[in-house]
Amino acid sequence: MAVEGSRVDNLGQFKQTYFDECAELLAIAEAGLLRLAPGTFDLEEVNTVFRAVHSIKGGAGAFGFSDLVTFAHEYEAVMDAIRAHTVPVSYGLVEALIHANDALGRLIDHARAGTAPPPDLIAAAVTALRADSGHGLPAAVIASGRAPAVASTAAAPESPRRSFALRFEPNPDLLLSGNEPSFMFRALARLGKLELGCQFDALPALTELDGEKLYLKWAGTLQTAASLAEIEEVFEFVADDSVIEITPLAAGGAPAAAVPAPATPMRSAAPGTVAPPGPPAKPPGPPVLYGSRDEPPATPVQAETGEPVQAASGGQSIRVDLDKVERLVNLVGEMVITQSMIAEHLRHLPPGQHREMLTGLEQLTQHTRDLRECVMAIRAQPVGSVFQRIPRLVRELSAETGKDVVLVTSGEHTEVDKTVVENLIDPLTHMIRNAVAHGFEPPDEREALGKPRTGTLHLSARHRSGRIVIEVADDGRGIDRRRVLERAVERGLVPPGVQPGDAEVDDLIFLPGFTTSEMVSSLSGRGVGMDVVRRNVVALGGRIGVHSIPGEGTRFVLSLPLTLAVLDGMVVSVGAERFVVPITNIVESLRPRPADLRRLVNLCDVIQFRGQFVRLARLHRLFDIPDAVEDPTRALVVVVEAEDGAQLGVLVDDIQGQQQVVIKSLEPNFRRITGVAAATILGDGRVALILDVAGVHELSRRAGPGGGRLAVEPPSQTEAAA
Amino acid sequence: MTTIAWQERSGEIRLGLPADLDLALAPPLILNLRRGFTVGDGIEVDGSAVEYVSTACIQALVAASRHAESSGQRFAVTSPSRVLTAACSDLGLDGWLRQWSGREWGRPQWSRT
Repeated sequence: MAVEGSRVDNLGQFKQTYFDECAELLAIAEAGLLRLAPGTFDLEEVNTVFRAVHSIKGGAGAFGFSDLVTFAHEYEAVMDAIRAHTVPVSYGLVEALIHANDALGRLIDHARAGTAPPPDLIAAAVTALRADSGHGLPAAVIASGRAPAVASTAAAPESPRRSFALRFEPNPDLLLSGNEPSFMFRALARLGKLELGCQFDALPALTELDGEKLYLKWAGTLQTAASLAEIEEVFEFVADDSVIEITPLAAGGAPAAAVPAPATPMRSAAPGTVAPPGPPAKPPGPPVLYGSRDEPPATPVQAETGEPVQAASGGQSIRVDLDKVERLVNLVGEMVITQSMIAEHLRHLPPGQHREMLTGLEQLTQHTRDLRECVMAIRAQPVGSVFQRIPRLVRELSAETGKDVVLVTSGEHTEVDKTVVENLIDPLTHMIRNAVAHGFEPPDEREALGKPRTGTLHLSARHRSGRIVIEVADDGRGIDRRRVLERAVERGLVPPGVQPGDAEVDDLIFLPGFTTSEMVSSLSGRGVGMDVVRRNVVALGGRIGVHSIPGEGTRFVLSLPLTLAVLDGMVVSVGAERFVVPITNIVESLRPRPADLRRLVNLCDVIQFRGQFVRLARLHRLFDIPDAVEDPTRALVVVVEAEDGAQLGVLVDDIQGQQQVVIKSLEPNFRRITGVAAATILGDGRVALILDVAGVHELSRRAGPGGGRLAVEPPSQTEAAA
Repeated sequence: MTTIAWQERSGEIRLGLPADLDLALAPPLILNLRRGFTVGDGIEVDGSAVEYVSTACIQALVAASRHAESSGQRFAVTSPSRVLTAACSDLGLDGWLRQWSGREWGRPQWSRT
């Protein structure tokens, strides 16, 4: 019984892994479908989608999910027909395939939940697929109400024989992995008439020959009734690292004329396997273009070079339960606190004594930092996982609004903590919806304005000052400030007669009920939800800003912390309080001379710093802290820089030292405070607030020359609305 | 015993291939072929006993034939077994085997000298 129970456990574990892989494969398939367009297309993209669906089908067969197998086979058959060039790609077909992908996802959900799918789920998707592809599908698939199961996929005796040109350049180490080309060719020969030639050109001289390496290559033709998938299956176990080309030939033996032969060899991940994820860290690459309606590029291309985007090469990876990673992160957090406590105690040792212990502490500090970075790297994910959802969204919005939009993305490999990635989806979706629904003018209007009919939406990510900065920029009409201000006055949010600056008017769109346009549609609803966007971003310790130029476009800039767990900070004291300034924001610390200080009439205190004037923020006044040093020439100024480049001099009593701190969010236990990003526990057990530099800047700007605002201030209008 | 039988006969080397020519046999086969060309005027490989042959060993024989061709030494695969012949055919090397086994001419085909 124990053995039986163990088997059940194992099966459940395998199923879980399968469903996890399905989610990845569906995303891969959808990304490939979104790049599929009429005209020329990248065969490798089609192969990628095919393999993803094939892998889902293979696993479903193993677990006995018959509905899943049936539908995946139908979907796969269409992809096979596309790559065999027997079904032309149309926009309708791509739409049907995208919906088929969704349907497959729902079937997987049902399989996971152990529930039966609604009877019309498969039928509707199959009908749509067949409506756009039916004439090119193998007869067996078309004729049957339900596609054959996996075991019978090879059976299609009535299919006409086709010719394929084959090229096989094995990896030199192929033999060491137990593969034997002669067996593979024998299997190919069983599919039809195989004519094969062996090429010796890479074969070294006998004196140089390594007996365990393979230098031979093969090329030939295969006449067969089998599908491309069946031919590829022969190479299933060697596809990862060998060059395999399988090109359908027209009757005369030339590559099929309807579409060009593949420009690159098929370096395929074997069907039934999951391609490993890309390398963990890559610098932001050049932008990638996605078309939306009329003239979508066949494949994503590098915006600068026009070269096709190569799939990221894979490294080895393992799946780890997220809970285990979370436990690890928490433990590292505790370890950082403990290390701080030890450091705090050792700081009081008599100077010159216990050197070994102090040296050990230094090493411990360094190792703790390294460990923290390693652990956080485990949780780091490229924002590409969010970005890859956007092309579909733009495509749908574009279709619904009748606007032509090209999406240009860059920096997909920029990495950020998993939690941040997950929480990015909603704000980004809102912003993209807003941009397409309201930002862009209709094509005719754009043309009349002398703009290209097709609008361009830029989505980019990059690291800056220890944060991730995401920009969504459109080249549309820009914010209609007059209307926004009118509306704000109507609502009593701005007193009549007051004329706020452009930036302040733009900022009003983050209030509930505002939009960049007064247009209301089913897409964006009323008010579009920029208030929700700001609320979500702020909840993540981030900020959002908007920059707009009438007639030229609008740019939203989102700045988020890379991690929500630990940061390197400078501990400063103000009166009896301690604050932590994130190291990534600090430019310099200095004690100003009297001559460095100025007061701008009715504006604010500034400090002269390296030839420029920087606003001085007196923390003790902003946060109402008694017994702090008033005179800047007797205190210290920490010059900090926010993500937008704005600098600020923060007046503090003293600097206590640098240390890693574990971020403890304030919002769940208290509420958001402007100027404070979070809290932490110091080594001596005291709670210190972590400064939000941009927030302090904002607070100081609002406080005016006296600088006396309470820390726990009445919420600003924006925050109150949020 | 999977050993390669080595015989010297009036300046020519005769290598008797074992029944099982798997991947592990490829390096020793290559060593024997190299040595054969070094010490002899040519090599005759007897393939009559072969019951299993890996691509690696066939590749070694192909390399030997190319060596013979370039050095002007003799080389032949005599009496290839049914398995060896089928494996060469699977690999698209039936033409090569015909050339170097002399089947087309009814006797071992030595390289042109």
